[in-house]
Amino acid sequence: MAQGVTASRAAAPPRRRRRRRLDPVLLAFLVPAAVLYLWFVLWPTLQAFQYSLTDWDGLSASFGWVGPDNYEKLATGDSVFRKAFGNSLKFMLTVVIGQTVLSLALAVALLRSTRISIFLRALFFFPTVLSSVSVAFIWSFVYDPTFGLANRLLAVVGLGSWQQPWLGDQDMAIYYLAIVQIWFHAGQLMVVYIAGLQQIPQDLYDAAALDGAGRWQKFRFVTFPLLQPSTVIVVAYTTIQSFKAFDLIIASTGGGPNHATEILATLIYTTAFRNFEMGYAAAQSVIFMVLIAAITILQRKAVSLASGGSDR
Amino acid sequence: MNSPRSLRSTLPVRSPRATAVGRRSLLTAVGVGGAGAVLAACGGPGSGGSDEPAAAPEPGGEASGTVNFYHWRSEDKTVLEELASAFTEQSGVTIEQTIDPSEQYQSTAAQKARGGDIGDALTAFRGTQLDQFADLGIFTDLGDASYVGNYEENLISPGRHEGAQLGLPYQLIFNMPLLNTELAEQAGVSEVPGDWDAYLDLMDKLKGLGVTPIAWPGNDPANAFQIINSMAMNAGPDDQMFAKIETGENKATDDWWIDALAKFQELSSYFQDNFSGSGVDGVLSLFSQGEAAMLPTGSYQIGQVREAGGEFPLEFAPMMTNAAGEEPAFEGIFNSTFILGINSAAQNPEGAAAWIEHLSDPVNAAAYGDGTSQHVTVKGVEYQNEDLKALAPWASKRTLLAPRFQFLNLDIRSAIENSLIAVATGSTPEQAAEEAQKLVEEQL
Amino acid sequence: MSTSTETTAASPTAPRRARRRRPDWSELPRGALLAVYALLIAVPLVVVLLTAFKTSSQMYENPFALPATPSLANFAELWAGGRIGTSFLNSVIVTAVSVTVTLLVSSWAAFSISRIGGRLGTFLYLFFSLGLAVPAQVAMIPQYVIFDQLGLTNSLLGLILINIAVTCSVAIFILTGFFRTLPQELFEAAQIDGAGTWQLYWRIALPLSTPSLAAVAIFLFVMHWNDLLYPLLFITDPDLATLPKALLDFKGEYTTNYPVLFAGVIIASIPMIVAYVFLQRWFVAGITAGAVRG
Repeated sequence: MAQGVTASRAAAPPRRRRRRRLDPVLLAFLVPAAVLYLWFVLWPTLQAFQYSLTDWDGLSASFGWVGPDNYEKLATGDSVFRKAFGNSLKFMLTVVIGQTVLSLALAVALLRSTRISIFLRALFFFPTVLSSVSVAFIWSFVYDPTFGLANRLLAVVGLGSWQQPWLGDQDMAIYYLAIVQIWFHAGQLMVVYIAGLQQIPQDLYDAAALDGAGRWQKFRFVTFPLLQPSTVIVVAYTTIQSFKAFDLIIASTGGGPNHATEILATLIYTTAFRNFEMGYAAAQSVIFMVLIAAITILQRKAVSLASGGSDR
Repeated sequence: MNSPRSLRSTLPVRSPRATAVGRRSLLTAVGVGGAGAVLAACGGPGSGGSDEPAAAPEPGGEASGTVNFYHWRSEDKTVLEELASAFTEQSGVTIEQTIDPSEQYQSTAAQKARGGDIGDALTAFRGTQLDQFADLGIFTDLGDASYVGNYEENLISPGRHEGAQLGLPYQLIFNMPLLNTELAEQAGVSEVPGDWDAYLDLMDKLKGLGVTPIAWPGNDPANAFQIINSMAMNAGPDDQMFAKIETGENKATDDWWIDALAKFQELSSYFQDNFSGSGVDGVLSLFSQGEAAMLPTGSYQIGQVREAGGEFPLEFAPMMTNAAGEEPAFEGIFNSTFILGINSAAQNPEGAAAWIEHLSDPVNAAAYGDGTSQHVTVKGVEYQNEDLKALAPWASKRTLLAPRFQFLNLDIRSAIENSLIAVATGSTPEQAAEEAQKLVEEQL
Repeated sequence: MSTSTETTAASPTAPRRARRRRPDWSELPRGALLAVYALLIAVPLVVVLLTAFKTSSQMYENPFALPATPSLANFAELWAGGRIGTSFLNSVIVTAVSVTVTLLVSSWAAFSISRIGGRLGTFLYLFFSLGLAVPAQVAMIPQYVIFDQLGLTNSLLGLILINIAVTCSVAIFILTGFFRTLPQELFEAAQIDGAGTWQLYWRIALPLSTPSLAAVAIFLFVMHWNDLLYPLLFITDPDLATLPKALLDFKGEYTTNYPVLFAGVIIASIPMIVAYVFLQRWFVAGITAGAVRG
């Protein structure tokens, strides 16, 4: 990497249009951000790899090098980790699909800027400005099986048999939390879609109408393909966001009951700061990073396949 | 590290009258009844590795400043504030409380208190947490402190670790289901059930009355699984049933545990709807309003029931798993917990010691007990609280020191406890036991 | 597979309706979606607002009812606890300083990257963008150790530093994108007039990028104000907690006393709500800019 820098520095300036030496003020401008970023973000990230090869407990002065032992245990003998891994994927898929579809539907429904549309956009966007802790409290109350809003509303509309233990249902709790995440952020991505929709030229719809296209066909053959850049953004962002639902889960279920809502992010925290297994937690975090990287690459592949390579 | 001790306490010495009366108090009796179990529970192998804990400072004349008191009893906040303001008047030391919910306290207290930024004086749960505090050297040795003598010796032995008195269990708790006897009598049952058939009979009659027999906080592990105590007390092969799961001598797949799970599964059909999602606040409200007849947590919630408007008479109804006609080994459960100690990293150790001495005073301990509806482990305490008086007969019964806190590994404990949820929500006892045992073995 | 079958399969009713030159009731699905979602958003929020003015038992009785005797008792109880005011102040300090300094150092770096240009510029751009790909939970363990060693745990300064470090990537990413679109001619003209680098930054780049700066500022404001992770990691002293951490602690102190918790939620959200109402356009732009960075 260092060689790359030297090479580009040596090669770039002479060939570029303006031959200027690097202005010291410009370099000084980089320093504060670069120092903080290197010291508190990149360096710790690299250290995580180093930690992951130890059995450090985070408290004692000494630790031992254990090589790949932590990874071996993660792969073979840790059912809680496996559960959290699975939950992360379930949560991500539900949120990505649910949030993308919902935010697109809302954006299409609110595209015309009538007074009521503008009001509804503001309303739907609103949860985004709340803190995860607030949202977690609100929804803990919604989901309380005896007194909560959800079961009460079901009773009121005559669907009493649909009442649930909600977050107490170990098979479903992670999905119920995914609903909270969608409620929290769909309005934000709706706005991204509205911006995308507004850039589609009206002539295309007019032309489609001349060809006799119906509403659905216009959506299918004009709107949807032209929205691809927005969809890429929405999907990528939602994916990352869903992996980071740490705050929401810590403040609502804490990962329980019985790890039913544990995702990797919360498990790493618990392992490191509640069980004091720093080395082991670091190994979990490395796997977590690899997972995110793999999903990001898969998504890029999928997008470039879907768009035939035309959209960057 | 410690400043020279001043042997003279600034606190006034209490008259011995209360102590004399207190000799016959319920605590003594419970202490005797449970002594064997207490001693047995503490006789297990220690986990070792920790250095000798530092000796605690004596409460000194120079105590001043602020003491942060870190604990998990938000219910006790007001009473402790009253005690603290009297303390401040006497000593000039201000008390500041930091409170985490019990579940969170169990898992984070060590990390939060380790640096000494909070918890000059702090508390620990019996079992895993005290063990962890000992390993991390968080508690100092109170062995030489003058106020240790204020306590019932048998009841504070759970605060001992490898010969050092690291903390003083302050509360004497009965971790058994609470029964609204008014509802039980309306249902035609005037006696607390003494065997499993009678227990189920009570459930059926309560159901017939149109109330929820049991309101179980299925989504609040700290409270929900208190029932494991009475569920196991007569089911286990001996009184070390859970400690032996950790050593591998007992297994979750043993018949006794599968049998206990089957009984719990039967019981769960009497819980409120959707119980697995319920938090403790919701079930407390159901019980306090008389909509549910039993609250299967423990005596530590009596104060909250009263505060929430429940005025009915209460009795303990431990889950009796013994067959009819069979003499149960134990009639009930007790626990000594809320283990008071001094942080080895305390910023104000002298102040913390003075505060613990203050709490250890029989008059103050009585005020704490009455105000919070909790029995205390201090000798010579006379209660005014009606509930504490009414439940006094439990002192002379055969009670077992709560086996739930025999677990030293929280993951093992969770694995066993979660088998209760599993059977209550549809697993067979065999499946649940196998699942639990698998998790236990990952930890061994 | 012809187009028409595909359409029918996907949406059996829509095409028939569309053919009829939109009669009013074809708006029905749209109206229903919007109405249901509006209720889904509004009902919980309204109930939270109502509950904060009720007692616990009133809430258990009927959460939808208006408070019979609206009372500020929950707010008073929270205030008497003595922590909410301190936490509010801590949040204000941490957020204000973090946002300002992040904007400052990020705009420097972004300006520098856009002016350096060429391969080095691209390299620097990618170098800072790497931070976008690092999940917080990976760096968090070593971060804790580093901050502990530096004595920056239980310190508002520590929170500010970590905020800047972890959010400067996003800010640099967005701002560099914007600075690159500024017309080079302006800078050249100014240089001919003898303007130095600082003046180019201060007199030309910054004034021209007010909208981007505002958007980034709002984005950072929301992030920093609402952050829970770093206070959870670094702060154990309740006197140094920021609002999200304090709220979480209240959950312990008031168990699940929802009326008091919701009073806390309202207090913690007020600055956001006020800012949102008055600066809505910037909120949408800012938070969306944060999303578009992907």
